[in-house]
Order: sequence, then structure tokens, then C-alpha cells
Amino acid sequence: MAGQTSVPAPSSRLQEIVSDSNRIEELSDTDNEYADEYEDVGTVVDQHEAANMAYINSMISPIRDSLETETSITQDETLAVVLPFLEGNPNDFLLNTFGLPKLQREKHAAFLHQALGDYPAQMAAMDAARPWLVYWSLQGLTALGYDISDMRDRIVETFLPSQHPDGGYGGGHGQLPHLAATYAAVLSLVMAGGTTAYESVNRKSMWHYLGRMKQVDGGFTMAPGGEEDIRGAFCALVVMSLLNIPLDLPPDAPARAHGMTTFLDKLGEWVSRCQTFEGGISAAPGNEAHGAYAFCGLGCLSIMGPPTETLNKYFDMPLLLHWLSSRQCSPEGGYNGRTNKLVDGCYSHWVGSCWPLVEAAVGKEVSNRSALARYILSAAQHKKGGLIDKPGKRADAYHTCYNLAGLSAAQHKNVYDEATAPDIGKSELGAPFGWKVDGLFEGERVWGDEDFVEEVHPIFVIPYQAAEDCRRYFEAKEGF
Amino acid sequence: MAPTFYHDDPKWSNIKPIPQNDTARPLAAIAYTDEYSEAMSYLRAVMAKNEYSHRVLGLTDHIISMNPAHYTIWLYRFKVLSELHADLREEIAWLNVTALKHLKNYQIWHHRQTVIDKLGSPEGEADFIATMLQQDTKNYHVWSYRQFLVQRFGLFDDEGELKWTEGMIEEDVRNNSAWNHRYFLVFGGKGEQTADKAIVERELNYAKAAIKKAPQNQSSWNYLRGVVRRNKLPTSTLKDFALEFADIEKPDDVTSSYALDTLADIYTEYQSKREEAKKALDLLATRYDPVRAHYWNYRKRLLE
Repeated sequence: MAGQTSVPAPSSRLQEIVSDSNRIEELSDTDNEYADEYEDVGTVVDQHEAANMAYINSMISPIRDSLETETSITQDETLAVVLPFLEGNPNDFLLNTFGLPKLQREKHAAFLHQALGDYPAQMAAMDAARPWLVYWSLQGLTALGYDISDMRDRIVETFLPSQHPDGGYGGGHGQLPHLAATYAAVLSLVMAGGTTAYESVNRKSMWHYLGRMKQVDGGFTMAPGGEEDIRGAFCALVVMSLLNIPLDLPPDAPARAHGMTTFLDKLGEWVSRCQTFEGGISAAPGNEAHGAYAFCGLGCLSIMGPPTETLNKYFDMPLLLHWLSSRQCSPEGGYNGRTNKLVDGCYSHWVGSCWPLVEAAVGKEVSNRSALARYILSAAQHKKGGLIDKPGKRADAYHTCYNLAGLSAAQHKNVYDEATAPDIGKSELGAPFGWKVDGLFEGERVWGDEDFVEEVHPIFVIPYQAAEDCRRYFEAKEGF
Repeated sequence: MAPTFYHDDPKWSNIKPIPQNDTARPLAAIAYTDEYSEAMSYLRAVMAKNEYSHRVLGLTDHIISMNPAHYTIWLYRFKVLSELHADLREEIAWLNVTALKHLKNYQIWHHRQTVIDKLGSPEGEADFIATMLQQDTKNYHVWSYRQFLVQRFGLFDDEGELKWTEGMIEEDVRNNSAWNHRYFLVFGGKGEQTADKAIVERELNYAKAAIKKAPQNQSSWNYLRGVVRRNKLPTSTLKDFALEFADIEKPDDVTSSYALDTLADIYTEYQSKREEAKKALDLLATRYDPVRAHYWNYRKRLLE
């Protein structure tokens, strides 16, 4: 029955891959005989291409349905765009010892420095997202190993006008406070570090603002009268944990009228309701499972307590694991955000950085880090600097930040260990300070020594040191 | 179109604009046009004195046309509409035109949601959404908004809604957003409540028919498995069906890796079938889904 309706019918491209694979086998069979001649023809490049193709062939699933729909057509188109980058080196980047493009560190840094600079008038659409531009760029630069301390004063000054008198941050002067803007602003200030940056945040009014965002069903809205989704829950807890803000709701929080007393009331249950029948996590109960919201959900629970406890308590972990591993596209190696969607470099983080959190809860390594790193190095670096969604797309600070964060999570072993930071994180929302890097990934590597990205905190997505310094500062401080 | 200014407009003469007070060298600064800059300065001024008026409504319209991603403007606009007891039908008509231009925009959908919520009627919304989805069949905001409508107006058992969703799946059986919406319609309103046997049967058959059209489609398999799990049917319910697409005794004839995955789960449940489960997982790891070899091997280790 099934056979009749679904005769596997490889596309011409797939047939091409298969025949390539035969050719490669032929080559390797006769390797000894022709070795010298092959070398003479010249080129290490050809050898790398052959190796890449052999790899792609080993990753591709032989099953393919004949039925064409919009989804399969766009998937085929995408693969046709991505494959040349996985096989060869259309950007003419220098290659690492594994035959993959090196991390274009200087180019990416130059791109991010530019992203912190001035924008033309046509970019007015980013007016409410300026804190994001700053955060993505600063985080990208620190991931690349650049020191941002010379920008400290400018960072602090940039956010002064966007702090709302009633607490929290907006996109700029006069804009209403918003949890996304607040998240990006606080992370930027924490990265800047130092007393001036820390003290520029009005933690007392922040506490009141967050209190107004807390909803009766347990979740958080993004803004006064704004949408309630899982970003709100995550952003609120990130800010509270870093700034050591009290867990008790402020007296003026509307949720208090409904018997709630703390920010965590019903929160775990609300996040739990965001897990869908597919196993992934959605923006709000009932919506479709999505990679970016999955990271928010996992991050939120990992702030509420040790992931070993909270994740297993509120999520069906086997189902989540199944969904999460399904996000890896084959043979692209990068992640998509939802079932039957296309690979996109930003999910290198949104999905890729879920893994340390999930693996802390299940105690095993289950993701394919080298396939992801291949996608990032080969297909997600823009020729002129900056990282991208997929070949053919423009670079932006967003994709640069999150491809790099994903690469970091692939290269380093982020592990949870309660004994990590003995002097901080023992009080409320201290679980994120139990993380540390326990050496490098020991599996199959595709990055050279010069392709390393710095360690990134798996929940806060800023340098470990920056997060710990900030928490330490506010733990030592009395009152607001 | 000629730029609109307020400083020489007598209707605005009583407003003292508040310019953006950025410091000397802000990061990621935008070189605003004079028009945008001035409009924002007037907005800051009217917001500071909580003015809710028709002229402010016009001002928000103006700013949205220059920057539709400005959540502050949208939130304030809704406040103005509420205070003025404005005709919300008119607002929806205006939004219809604006939304088409800015599909991937959180604000516009949230605004629409709050307006429709207040209006108390979903009339016309289904058609509007259908138009929007024609441009982007998996748009997350649009589908989430559709779920809001179902929840808000109790459309879980609405036959038209189910039919429409079926049409979307019919059009592209791999549209996961449509499958998710179907699940939401059929089971989302029920909480922990058990579903009718007949409905469960109908859903199983629906998913199976879709799988037969395209066996290597995770959307329909996830749905099928989701229905089984939610209604607490034994996993083995799907054994015969899965065997149509994968059989560990015939490792060369697998037409769906998801069937193999399903079989692995079924065999895992039985102590006596551990070896079969391992075989299925091995086939996935080495042959039919090698990119996830670590994951399949992890599942295998759990069996030991």
C-alpha cells in the first residue's frame, strides 16, 4: 500500500549526490595507484571537496517522498542553495585543518563594530529594537574574544534615556518599558560591568515594573497591555537573577489581588502548558512548538532551579528530546525552528543552546555538534563579514550573535554543578550560577584551534564572568 | 508623499515637543529623518500628559506608517481608541490595509487581538487570516492569532474551522502549523477531559490517510503519535500501521524513518522485544537518519 503511494523518487540533485558518492568511492579505491597524479593535478581543494561530499552522502537520509508540496519545493530550493557551500568553498575563505572555512574572526568583528555605529534614516524600523542591536553586537564581539571595556561609558550612556521612570527599559527615550528591551539593555549593561553600569539600573522601579507584568495565570506580559508569551517569563527571570531582585511580588502588583505573592507562583505550570503534543515548546499554550521559544522555556525553568529538578518536573523530557533532535536538518547540519521548516543560522543558538540545559537534565550527550559547526563555518559566514541565516541572505547582528553562541555551545562543555560558584547564587534564583565550562567538546571536531569562540553562559548568553560579577555585586549590596 | 510636520500646524501649537535626549555618542544611533524625529517628539509630549484625542490618533497613524514595529505607538494607540470610544470596526478596516504590508510584525497582530477582543466578535476575521496565510502559509503570528480567536470565541467545535484547517493540510500536508491548529481545535479545549472514542478514531484515521500520501512527513506522524499519547492508547495500537512503512526484518525496504522510530518505541515497551528495538534504532542511526546517530544511540543505551 505505502509503496504504491510513495515510490521514493530522488530529485535530480539527489541523484547527482549519489553519483558523486560513487565517484568518490572510485577515487578512494584507486587512491594508491593515482595518488601522485592526483597531487599533481593540484589541489588540496579537490580533496577537501571530495571529503565534504563523502560526508554529506553519509548524512543524507535515503528516503524521499514523491509527493510535491510547497514545503518540499522550498526545502529543495534551500538545499540547492546550501549544498555548494557545504561541499566547496564559494567564498574563497582560508580553510582549517578539517578542510572547512576558518572562522572569519576579524571580518565578523569589523561587521559588529559597524553594527554598533550609526544607522541611516531608512532603519527607523529598528527604533524600538536599538537595545537589541547593542546587545547582539556586544555579545558577538565578546564571543569573538574582543574586549569591550573601552565602550563601557558609551554603553551606560546609551541606556540612560531608555530607562522608564516607572521601571524597566524601552527601546529608546520616551518609549514604554518592554521586557525584550529590558532584557537586551540589562544584558548589555552587565557585559559592560562596573559600578557605574550596575548602579545605572533602578532596581526598585524594575521590581515594580516586573510586578506589573506578572499575570494571574502564572506567565508574564512583555509590556503594559502587551502580549503574554514565554519570552516574557524568560526575560523577566534573567533580569531578576542577574540583578538579584526579590522574589516577592511588590505590593502594587495586580496579581497580588488574586492571591499571588511571588513571581514564581504558577510559573512552572504555565511554562509546562507550553509544551506541545510534538514535545517542543511554544510561545503560549496551544501555539506551535518553536525553537526560540524552546530556549526561553528551558532557560526560564533553569533559572527557577537546578535543571536536573525543574526540567524533569515540568517537561516530558523524552518527548522534548525527540523534538529537539528532530530540529537538526539533514544533510545541512544546521537547525530549523519547527517541524518541516527550513534551516536558519539563528537556531544554531535557539536550538543548539537548548542542548546543554537538556543534557544537564538527562545526563547524556545527544546532539550532533560537528554537523552544526559545519553548517555555521561553511554556510553561515558571509563573505564580507557577519553571519547569516543561510547562503544568499544578508548578514545582521542578530544572526551573527546567535550563530556564534551556537558555535560556542558546540565547542565547549557547559555543565551544571552546584559546587561551581560557592560564594554566590545560594539565594533566590541562584541556579544559573551553578554552571561552568568543563573543558572542550571531545567528540569529532571540525574546527581548528583558530576557530574557537569564547565560552558563553548557557542561560544568560553573555560571558560567565560578566554574569557572576554582577550577581556578586548585588548580593553584597543591602536593599535596592 | 510630502512629509508631515507639526511645528507650523496651529492645531498642535499648544504642544511643546520633547526631543529625544540621547547623550553625545549613543550606540546604534539612527539618523532619523526630520519628519520622524519631530513626530516622535510630539508623541513623547502627548504621552507625557496622557492626551487621548483624535489628533493623537492621527499622529500614531503617521508614525506607524514610518515605523510599524514601534510597540509603544501601538499600545498607546489602543489606549487612545479606548478612551475615545472609537469605532473599532473602522480600526479593523484600517488594519487590514496596514497588516498586508507588514506580515512579520508582533505588534500589529497583538493590536488586532486586543481590538477584536474588545469588539467581541470574530466576524470577518477568518477570511482576513486566509488572505494573510496565502502569502506565508506558516506565519507564526497569524496562526497564534487564529488560536486566540478559537479560544476567545469558543470555536473549538466549529465545523467550518475544522474544514478550513483540513483545507490547509490538504494544500500542503507538510504544513506543521496547520496540523498544530487541528490538534488545538480537536483537543486544545478539552484540558484533561477524555475525548469521544469516535473522535479519536476519526483523528487516527485522518493522520493515517495523510501519512499514506507522504510517509516521510514528520508533521503527520507527530500528530498521529500525539493523538495516541493524549488519549492514553497503548503505543502498540500503531504497530500494524507502522509495519506498512518499516519492518526490521526487511531493512532495505523502509519508506519512513518515522515508522521505524515508532516501532522502536513500541518494542521498547516490551522487555522481550528489546533486541528488536535496538535493531530499529540501529537502522536509524546507521542508515535512515544518520545525522541523529547520537540521539538514536542514546535511546539504545537507555535500553541497557
